[in-house]
Amino acid sequence: MVTHPGSARAARTARRLNAPRPALVEAQASGIPRRVNRQSVALVREEWRVVDRWWTEEPVARRYFDVVLETGENAVVYRDDESGSWFTQRA
Amino acid sequence: MIAAVVIPAFDLRAALRLRPGLQTRPAALAPQPGKEPLLGSVTAAAEAKGVRPGMRLGESLALCPDLELVEHDPATAEQAWEEILRRLEDAGFAVEPLEPGTVYFETKGVERLYGGLEPALKRALAAVGTIWDGRAGAADRRFAALAAANVARPGQALIVSDDRTRTFLAPLPLTLLPLEQDRYAQLEELGVKTIGQLAGLPGGAVAERLGPAGRRAWSLARGEHDGRVAPRRPATALHETLEFPEAVGNDLTLRRGLGVLVDRLLARPERAGRPPRKVAVWARLVGGASWRRTVTLREPSADPARLRTALAPKLAELPAPALKLRLEVCELAEHTGEQLELVAAEGEVVKGKLREGLRQVRAAVGAGGVSTVVEVAPWSRIPEARALLVPRDD
Repeated sequence: MVTHPGSARAARTARRLNAPRPALVEAQASGIPRRVNRQSVALVREEWRVVDRWWTEEPVARRYFDVVLETGENAVVYRDDESGSWFTQRA
Repeated sequence: MIAAVVIPAFDLRAALRLRPGLQTRPAALAPQPGKEPLLGSVTAAAEAKGVRPGMRLGESLALCPDLELVEHDPATAEQAWEEILRRLEDAGFAVEPLEPGTVYFETKGVERLYGGLEPALKRALAAVGTIWDGRAGAADRRFAALAAANVARPGQALIVSDDRTRTFLAPLPLTLLPLEQDRYAQLEELGVKTIGQLAGLPGGAVAERLGPAGRRAWSLARGEHDGRVAPRRPATALHETLEFPEAVGNDLTLRRGLGVLVDRLLARPERAGRPPRKVAVWARLVGGASWRRTVTLREPSADPARLRTALAPKLAELPAPALKLRLEVCELAEHTGEQLELVAAEGEVVKGKLREGLRQVRAAVGAGGVSTVVEVAPWSRIPEARALLVPRDD
């Protein structure tokens, strides 16, 4: 018999709070975001870098941007220098 | 090691218990009323004719005109699954059921009991019962154990050692990973057809295209750590059944029947004075189908009038006349009574209400439904390293 692929329940283990979620970001040549999740960026409020755990096998190198979107919504996105991918996260 | 026991198409097998002749013929679980006309699990004979689970009803009937449609029987499935879990628990396995037809357990303790890993897995399969065609798998990771059980033959126990996990997972199909249906097709269009091919992709790219679920699937495909087994607390077996001489659809008769069941259940000595927190009404309907509804009480109560008031409206949802009515206690409260104080200590009332509310949520959504935020490194510059969400099952 063949099982209908059902949903597997999430494991009952501790999980990270505020884990980064993948974001769709278009950036300018300088690396500053132009559009975040298909919405234009109206203003970049702040920019900072986080470089940590460089002594481990899982180094962290991120460039964070605190932006205001054209809808008035605030968002914090970062580019992971290791993978080159963009993520959104509450900083 | 972690072991998994899998019974493929458990819902269909349970529904066919009353019609065993259909097991060798093309049959499938009928689409659920009010939902998309998609088939559920299918028998091997139906699969041989090209019918697949999740296929549209029209398409499947065009492929296999003699396909028999079987009604869902959730009550029989739930009862059969509970019997299987109890047999496993009686044999010494501390089980964590994932969904009906799939269960995990740690093998550490039982290996010594049965003289090794393989004899322990064989004992688990014997406890499940040969009629269910169960298969077992064991590995150091939950997903690898589940994958091993899925590819094992009926009655076989497949053991995957830690150093072989990635090699073992590599050629297996993507459908073993917990992803949404359209994601499989999306990955196949990109030429990714096996778990090994997915594991070979960069994690960032997978997360960007498929989101968090895809990132988790990628991590499982690489054989990374995916949590330990959290055994369930064995449930209390407390139920009362009323069989009608003929099918009853009359609301008044059904309510009276329910009233009798409530009184009988509350009189059971096994309850030891503890009030029910979560109860279920079950009915066997005309035509063989079954129906079941659960109710979580806002406050656990052993007052028959309150129980009747909470349960009676559910009877109006019965889709057909009932031949049998059953009332089950799914969970009992821990306390036997509530001592009221003349002057409650400051904050105690609120704390008590909060505790009770959390218990109610847990009873409704299951273990792991309530979590606490635990700060582990509030000073960290990495936001996700500052705190954890830890499930509370106390």
